[in-house]
Amino acid sequence: MFLCEIKFFSLTNENGSSDFEKTTRNRFYKNTGILKSDDKFEITLDQRKLKTPKGNLFLVEAEPLALAVATEWHSQKNKIIQSKMHLTTLCNTVQDNPNNLTKLDIVQYIVNYLDTDTILFQGNENDDLMKLQITEWDPVIAWFNERFKVHLKKSVQMDVPPVSEQDKATLSRHLMSYNFAAVNGFMYGVDTLKSVILTLAATERYMSPEKAVLLSRLEEEYQTGHWGRVEWAHDLNQQELQSRLAAVVLFVYFNSQSYKSQQKNKV
Amino acid sequence: MSKLQTLRGVIRELRYSLPDRTLKDNIAFRYIMNQYRKYRTTDQQICKAQEEMDFIANTYLCYLRSSRLSQEIHDEFHGKGERSIEDTARMVGFKLPHDPK
Repeated sequence: MFLCEIKFFSLTNENGSSDFEKTTRNRFYKNTGILKSDDKFEITLDQRKLKTPKGNLFLVEAEPLALAVATEWHSQKNKIIQSKMHLTTLCNTVQDNPNNLTKLDIVQYIVNYLDTDTILFQGNENDDLMKLQITEWDPVIAWFNERFKVHLKKSVQMDVPPVSEQDKATLSRHLMSYNFAAVNGFMYGVDTLKSVILTLAATERYMSPEKAVLLSRLEEEYQTGHWGRVEWAHDLNQQELQSRLAAVVLFVYFNSQSYKSQQKNKV
Repeated sequence: MSKLQTLRGVIRELRYSLPDRTLKDNIAFRYIMNQYRKYRTTDQQICKAQEEMDFIANTYLCYLRSSRLSQEIHDEFHGKGERSIEDTARMVGFKLPHDPK
Protein backbone atom coordinates (compact mmCIF):
# COMPACT_ATOMS: atom_id res chain seq x y z
CA MET A 1 0.00 0.00 0.00
CA PHE A 2 2.75 2.36 1.00
CA LEU A 3 4.95 1.59 -2.01
CA CYS A 4 1.98 1.86 -4.25
CA GLU A 5 1.37 5.45 -3.10
CA ILE A 6 4.94 6.51 -3.81
CA LYS A 7 4.83 5.09 -7.26
CA PHE A 8 1.58 6.84 -8.01
CA PHE A 9 2.92 10.21 -6.97
CA SER A 10 6.15 9.91 -8.87
CA LEU A 11 4.34 8.84 -12.02
CA THR A 12 2.04 11.84 -12.09
CA ASN A 13 4.93 14.10 -11.33
CA GLU A 14 7.02 12.80 -14.19
CA ASN A 15 4.25 13.40 -16.66
CA GLY A 16 3.25 16.67 -15.06
CA SER A 17 6.68 18.22 -15.09
CA SER A 18 7.57 17.21 -18.64
CA ASP A 19 4.37 18.76 -20.01
CA PHE A 20 4.97 21.75 -17.83
CA GLU A 21 8.43 22.31 -19.32
CA LYS A 22 7.20 21.99 -22.86
CA THR A 23 4.32 24.42 -22.68
CA THR A 24 5.79 27.26 -20.65
CA ARG A 25 8.01 30.17 -21.46
CA ASN A 26 9.72 32.50 -19.07
CA ARG A 27 8.10 35.86 -18.55
CA PHE A 28 9.84 38.23 -20.96
CA TYR A 29 8.04 41.51 -20.23
CA LYS A 30 7.69 43.80 -17.27
CA ASN A 31 4.54 45.81 -17.88
CA THR A 32 1.27 45.12 -19.62
CA GLY A 33 -1.18 47.60 -21.04
CA ILE A 34 -3.96 48.10 -23.53
CA LEU A 35 -4.07 50.24 -26.66
CA LYS A 36 -7.14 51.48 -28.46
CA SER A 37 -7.05 51.25 -32.24
CA ASP A 38 -10.22 52.10 -34.16
CA ASP A 39 -13.02 50.40 -32.25
CA LYS A 40 -10.91 47.62 -30.84
CA PHE A 41 -8.36 47.09 -28.13
CA GLU A 42 -4.90 45.55 -28.34
CA ILE A 43 -2.79 44.16 -25.50
CA THR A 44 0.79 45.36 -25.04
CA LEU A 45 3.57 43.48 -23.26
CA ASP A 46 6.16 46.24 -22.77
CA GLN A 47 6.57 47.61 -26.31
CA ARG A 48 5.41 44.39 -28.01
CA LYS A 49 1.87 43.67 -29.09
CA LEU A 50 0.21 40.43 -28.07
CA LYS A 51 -0.52 38.06 -30.95
CA THR A 52 -2.74 35.01 -31.26
CA PRO A 53 -1.26 31.50 -31.76
CA LYS A 54 -1.85 31.85 -35.53
CA GLY A 55 0.13 35.07 -35.55
CA ASN A 56 -2.75 37.52 -35.93
CA LEU A 57 -2.80 40.72 -33.92
CA PHE A 58 -4.79 40.06 -30.73
CA LEU A 59 -7.93 42.23 -30.76
CA VAL A 60 -10.98 42.48 -28.53
CA GLU A 61 -13.96 44.80 -28.73
CA ALA A 62 -14.74 45.51 -25.09
CA GLU A 63 -12.43 47.57 -22.91
CA PRO A 64 -13.04 45.63 -19.66
CA LEU A 65 -12.29 42.38 -21.47
CA ALA A 66 -9.02 43.82 -22.77
CA LEU A 67 -8.15 44.93 -19.24
CA ALA A 68 -8.95 41.50 -17.84
CA VAL A 69 -6.74 39.85 -20.48
CA ALA A 70 -3.92 42.32 -19.72
CA THR A 71 -4.33 41.50 -16.02
CA GLU A 72 -4.05 37.79 -16.81
CA TRP A 73 -0.72 38.39 -18.53
CA HIS A 74 0.43 40.76 -15.82
CA SER A 75 -0.28 38.21 -13.09
CA GLN A 76 2.09 35.61 -14.58
CA LYS A 77 5.03 34.93 -12.32
CA ASN A 78 8.36 33.60 -13.68
CA LYS A 79 6.71 31.17 -16.09
CA ILE A 80 3.91 32.02 -18.47
CA ILE A 81 1.24 29.37 -17.96
CA GLN A 82 -1.15 29.86 -20.84
CA SER A 83 -3.32 26.85 -20.05
CA LYS A 84 -4.72 28.70 -17.03
CA MET A 85 -5.48 31.94 -18.89
CA HIS A 86 -9.05 31.19 -19.83
CA LEU A 87 -10.03 34.65 -21.05
CA THR A 88 -7.00 34.84 -23.35
CA THR A 89 -7.78 31.32 -24.57
CA LEU A 90 -11.38 32.22 -25.37
CA CYS A 91 -10.35 35.37 -27.27
CA ASN A 92 -7.72 33.39 -29.21
CA THR A 93 -10.20 30.68 -30.13
CA VAL A 94 -12.71 33.19 -31.43
CA GLN A 95 -10.14 35.14 -33.42
CA ASP A 96 -8.21 32.21 -34.91
CA ASN A 97 -11.18 29.82 -35.10
CA PRO A 98 -8.84 26.80 -35.36
CA ASN A 99 -11.65 24.34 -36.13
CA ASN A 100 -13.24 26.56 -38.80
CA LEU A 101 -16.63 26.42 -37.14
CA THR A 102 -19.53 28.65 -38.10
CA LYS A 103 -21.91 30.12 -35.58
CA LEU A 104 -24.58 27.68 -36.77
CA ASP A 105 -22.26 24.68 -36.19
CA ILE A 106 -21.68 25.75 -32.61
CA VAL A 107 -25.34 26.50 -31.91
CA GLN A 108 -26.30 23.05 -33.21
CA TYR A 109 -23.63 21.46 -31.06
CA ILE A 110 -24.97 23.22 -27.98
CA VAL A 111 -28.61 22.45 -28.73
CA ASN A 112 -27.88 18.77 -29.38
CA TYR A 113 -25.97 18.65 -26.11
CA LEU A 114 -29.33 19.15 -24.37
CA ASP A 115 -30.17 15.51 -25.11
CA THR A 116 -27.47 14.48 -22.63
CA ASP A 117 -27.63 17.42 -20.24
CA THR A 118 -26.31 16.43 -16.80
CA ILE A 119 -29.21 17.76 -14.78
CA LEU A 120 -31.86 16.12 -16.98
CA PHE A 121 -30.56 12.68 -16.04
CA GLN A 122 -31.12 11.93 -12.40
CA GLY A 123 -30.00 8.72 -10.77
CA ASN A 124 -32.48 6.78 -8.63
CA GLU A 125 -30.17 4.19 -7.09
CA ASN A 126 -29.65 6.17 -3.93
CA ASP A 127 -32.53 7.80 -2.04
CA ASP A 128 -30.52 10.60 -0.44
CA LEU A 129 -28.86 11.56 -3.69
CA MET A 130 -32.23 11.40 -5.42
CA LYS A 131 -33.70 13.83 -2.89
CA LEU A 132 -30.75 16.15 -3.31
CA GLN A 133 -31.17 16.15 -7.07
CA ILE A 134 -34.87 16.89 -6.77
CA THR A 135 -34.38 19.83 -4.40
CA GLU A 136 -31.36 21.27 -6.23
CA TRP A 137 -31.87 20.48 -9.91
CA ASP A 138 -35.63 20.55 -10.42
CA PRO A 139 -36.05 24.29 -9.69
CA VAL A 140 -33.35 25.06 -12.29
CA ILE A 141 -35.14 22.97 -14.92
CA ALA A 142 -38.39 24.78 -14.06
CA TRP A 143 -36.67 28.17 -14.37
CA PHE A 144 -35.13 27.16 -17.71
CA ASN A 145 -38.50 26.08 -19.14
CA GLU A 146 -40.10 29.31 -18.00
CA ARG A 147 -37.29 31.56 -19.20
CA PHE A 148 -36.88 30.06 -22.68
CA LYS A 149 -40.49 28.89 -23.19
CA VAL A 150 -39.54 25.25 -23.64
CA HIS A 151 -40.81 21.99 -22.16
CA LEU A 152 -37.82 19.94 -21.03
CA LYS A 153 -38.49 16.93 -18.83
CA LYS A 154 -36.06 15.17 -16.57
CA SER A 155 -35.40 11.48 -16.90
CA VAL A 156 -35.00 9.08 -14.00
CA GLN A 157 -34.94 5.75 -15.83
CA MET A 158 -33.28 6.83 -19.09
CA ASP A 159 -36.70 6.46 -20.70
CA VAL A 160 -37.59 10.04 -21.49
CA PRO A 161 -37.67 11.03 -25.16
CA PRO A 162 -34.95 13.52 -26.10
CA VAL A 163 -35.71 17.18 -26.21
CA SER A 164 -38.37 17.91 -28.82
CA GLU A 165 -37.39 19.43 -32.17
CA GLN A 166 -39.60 22.38 -31.40
CA ASP A 167 -37.75 23.15 -28.17
CA LYS A 168 -34.43 22.82 -29.95
CA ALA A 169 -35.56 25.29 -32.58
CA THR A 170 -36.66 27.74 -29.90
CA LEU A 171 -33.33 27.54 -28.16
CA SER A 172 -31.41 27.77 -31.46
CA ARG A 173 -33.17 31.02 -32.23
CA HIS A 174 -32.20 32.41 -28.86
CA LEU A 175 -28.54 31.41 -29.22
CA MET A 176 -28.32 32.68 -32.80
CA SER A 177 -29.18 36.16 -31.52
CA TYR A 178 -25.75 36.31 -29.84
CA ASN A 179 -22.57 37.10 -31.76
CA PHE A 180 -19.94 34.54 -32.73
CA ALA A 181 -17.71 35.29 -29.76
CA ALA A 182 -20.50 34.84 -27.20
CA VAL A 183 -21.63 31.56 -28.81
CA ASN A 184 -18.05 30.30 -28.53
CA GLY A 185 -18.19 31.22 -24.86
CA PHE A 186 -21.38 29.18 -24.40
CA MET A 187 -19.69 26.16 -25.98
CA TYR A 188 -16.74 26.45 -23.60
CA GLY A 189 -19.16 26.66 -20.68
CA VAL A 190 -21.18 23.65 -21.83
CA ASP A 191 -17.99 21.60 -22.15
CA THR A 192 -16.95 22.71 -18.67
CA LEU A 193 -20.20 21.91 -16.87
CA LYS A 194 -21.55 19.15 -19.15
CA SER A 195 -24.82 21.02 -18.96
CA VAL A 196 -26.46 23.56 -21.27
CA ILE A 197 -29.04 24.43 -18.64
CA LEU A 198 -26.51 25.29 -15.93
CA THR A 199 -24.34 27.25 -18.36
CA LEU A 200 -27.28 29.42 -19.39
CA ALA A 201 -28.39 29.76 -15.76
CA ALA A 202 -24.99 31.31 -15.01
CA THR A 203 -24.78 33.56 -18.09
CA GLU A 204 -28.37 34.73 -17.52
CA ARG A 205 -27.32 35.63 -13.99
CA TYR A 206 -29.88 33.28 -12.45
CA MET A 207 -27.13 31.80 -10.29
CA SER A 208 -23.49 32.51 -9.49
CA PRO A 209 -20.74 30.54 -11.24
CA GLU A 210 -19.86 28.93 -7.89
CA LYS A 211 -23.40 27.64 -7.53
CA ALA A 212 -23.56 26.39 -11.12
CA VAL A 213 -20.31 24.45 -10.65
CA LEU A 214 -21.60 23.03 -7.37
CA LEU A 215 -24.78 21.81 -9.07
CA SER A 216 -22.84 20.28 -11.95
CA ARG A 217 -20.72 18.37 -9.40
CA LEU A 218 -23.69 17.44 -7.22
CA GLU A 219 -23.08 13.70 -7.21
CA GLU A 220 -19.35 14.16 -6.61
CA GLU A 221 -20.10 16.48 -3.69
CA TYR A 222 -22.55 13.95 -2.30
CA GLN A 223 -20.05 11.11 -2.60
CA THR A 224 -17.17 13.10 -1.06
CA GLY A 225 -19.52 13.90 1.83
CA HIS A 226 -19.69 10.13 2.38
CA TRP A 227 -16.24 8.94 1.50
CA GLY A 228 -13.99 11.91 2.19
CA ARG A 229 -12.44 14.65 0.18
CA VAL A 230 -9.02 14.68 -1.47
CA GLU A 231 -7.60 18.14 -1.96
CA TRP A 232 -5.54 17.46 -5.07
CA ALA A 233 -8.47 15.90 -6.87
CA HIS A 234 -11.79 17.30 -5.67
CA ASP A 235 -10.77 20.80 -4.61
CA LEU A 236 -8.53 21.24 -7.63
CA ASN A 237 -11.34 20.14 -9.90
CA GLN A 238 -13.82 22.50 -8.26
CA GLN A 239 -11.55 25.55 -8.45
CA GLU A 240 -10.60 24.85 -12.04
CA LEU A 241 -14.20 24.50 -13.13
CA GLN A 242 -15.11 27.68 -11.26
CA SER A 243 -12.39 29.71 -12.92
CA ARG A 244 -13.37 28.31 -16.33
CA LEU A 245 -17.04 29.06 -15.86
CA ALA A 246 -16.45 32.53 -14.39
CA ALA A 247 -14.32 33.28 -17.47
CA VAL A 248 -17.21 32.15 -19.68
CA VAL A 249 -19.73 34.35 -17.87
CA LEU A 250 -17.46 37.38 -18.17
CA PHE A 251 -16.65 36.63 -21.79
CA VAL A 252 -20.28 36.23 -22.85
CA TYR A 253 -21.25 39.35 -20.92
CA PHE A 254 -18.54 41.54 -22.44
CA ASN A 255 -19.36 40.27 -25.90
CA SER A 256 -23.13 40.62 -25.68
CA GLN A 257 -25.18 43.33 -27.32
CA SER A 258 -26.64 44.79 -24.17
CA TYR A 259 -23.20 45.60 -22.86
CA LYS A 260 -22.09 47.44 -25.98
CA SER A 261 -25.20 49.59 -26.13
CA GLN A 262 -24.51 50.54 -22.54
CA GLN A 263 -20.97 51.57 -23.41
CA LYS A 264 -22.14 53.87 -26.18
CA ASN A 265 -24.18 55.91 -23.72
CA LYS A 266 -20.99 56.72 -21.92
CA VAL A 267 -19.76 60.22 -22.61
CA MET B 1 -21.98 39.63 0.12
CA SER B 2 -22.25 43.42 0.13
CA LYS B 3 -20.94 45.46 -2.79
CA LEU B 4 -18.13 46.86 -0.69
CA GLN B 5 -17.03 43.39 0.38
CA THR B 6 -16.96 42.31 -3.25
CA LEU B 7 -14.82 45.29 -4.19
CA ARG B 8 -12.46 44.61 -1.30
CA GLY B 9 -12.25 40.98 -2.38
CA VAL B 10 -11.37 41.91 -5.96
CA ILE B 11 -8.67 44.32 -4.80
CA ARG B 12 -7.25 41.73 -2.45
CA GLU B 13 -7.05 39.19 -5.27
CA LEU B 14 -5.38 41.73 -7.56
CA ARG B 15 -2.80 42.36 -4.85
CA TYR B 16 -2.16 38.62 -4.53
CA SER B 17 -1.74 38.03 -8.22
CA LEU B 18 -0.02 41.15 -9.55
CA PRO B 19 3.67 41.91 -9.13
CA ASP B 20 3.09 45.68 -8.66
CA ARG B 21 4.00 47.08 -5.30
CA THR B 22 1.09 49.51 -5.39
CA LEU B 23 -2.12 49.24 -7.36
CA LYS B 24 -2.52 53.00 -7.66
CA ASP B 25 -1.25 53.09 -11.25
CA ASN B 26 -2.64 49.75 -12.35
CA ILE B 27 -4.99 50.16 -15.32
CA ALA B 28 -7.40 47.41 -14.29
CA PHE B 29 -7.64 48.73 -10.74
CA ARG B 30 -8.36 52.25 -11.98
CA TYR B 31 -11.01 51.00 -14.37
CA ILE B 32 -12.75 49.03 -11.61
CA MET B 33 -12.72 52.04 -9.25
CA ASN B 34 -14.15 54.27 -11.94
CA GLN B 35 -16.94 51.80 -12.63
CA TYR B 36 -17.77 51.59 -8.94
CA ARG B 37 -17.91 55.37 -8.63
CA LYS B 38 -20.06 55.64 -11.73
CA TYR B 39 -22.59 53.07 -10.59
CA ARG B 40 -22.76 54.39 -7.07
CA THR B 41 -24.44 57.51 -8.36
CA THR B 42 -26.92 55.63 -10.53
CA ASP B 43 -30.51 56.49 -9.70
CA GLN B 44 -33.30 54.02 -9.08
CA GLN B 45 -34.38 53.80 -12.69
CA ILE B 46 -31.30 51.87 -13.83
CA CYS B 47 -31.08 49.97 -10.61
CA LYS B 48 -31.08 46.79 -12.65
CA ALA B 49 -27.79 47.78 -14.18
CA GLN B 50 -26.36 48.19 -10.72
CA GLU B 51 -27.30 44.64 -9.79
CA GLU B 52 -25.84 43.49 -13.06
CA MET B 53 -22.55 45.18 -12.22
CA ASP B 54 -22.55 43.55 -8.81
CA PHE B 55 -23.03 40.13 -10.37
CA ILE B 56 -20.20 40.73 -12.84
CA ALA B 57 -17.92 42.02 -10.08
CA ASN B 58 -18.62 38.87 -8.06
CA THR B 59 -17.96 36.75 -11.12
CA TYR B 60 -14.62 38.47 -11.64
CA LEU B 61 -13.81 37.90 -7.98
CA CYS B 62 -14.64 34.21 -8.45
CA TYR B 63 -12.43 34.11 -11.53
CA LEU B 64 -9.43 35.64 -9.79
CA ARG B 65 -9.81 33.61 -6.63
CA SER B 66 -10.45 30.24 -8.26
CA SER B 67 -7.56 30.74 -10.69
CA ARG B 68 -5.25 31.51 -7.78
CA LEU B 69 -6.45 28.62 -5.64
CA SER B 70 -6.26 26.06 -8.44
CA GLN B 71 -2.70 27.21 -9.15
CA GLU B 72 -1.81 26.97 -5.46
CA ILE B 73 -3.18 23.43 -5.16
CA HIS B 74 -1.42 22.49 -8.38
CA ASP B 75 1.89 23.90 -7.16
CA GLU B 76 1.59 22.08 -3.88
CA PHE B 77 0.84 18.65 -5.26
CA HIS B 78 1.98 18.43 -8.87
CA GLY B 79 5.04 18.97 -10.96
CA LYS B 80 7.70 18.94 -8.26
CA GLY B 81 9.55 15.89 -9.50
CA GLU B 82 10.03 12.85 -7.30
CA ARG B 83 9.26 13.27 -3.61
CA SER B 84 11.35 11.86 -0.81
CA ILE B 85 9.93 8.95 1.15
CA GLU B 86 9.45 11.21 4.19
CA ASP B 87 7.46 13.78 2.19
CA THR B 88 5.26 11.14 0.67
CA ALA B 89 4.64 9.51 4.01
CA ARG B 90 3.66 12.82 5.55
CA MET B 91 1.33 13.56 2.66
CA VAL B 92 -0.75 10.44 3.24
CA GLY B 93 -0.53 10.72 7.03
CA PHE B 94 1.96 7.93 7.72
CA LYS B 95 5.12 7.86 9.77
CA LEU B 96 8.31 6.00 8.95
CA PRO B 97 9.37 3.17 11.29
CA HIS B 98 12.20 5.19 12.84
CA ASP B 99 10.19 8.41 13.34
CA PRO B 100 9.16 9.21 16.92
CA LYS B 101 5.52 8.29 17.56
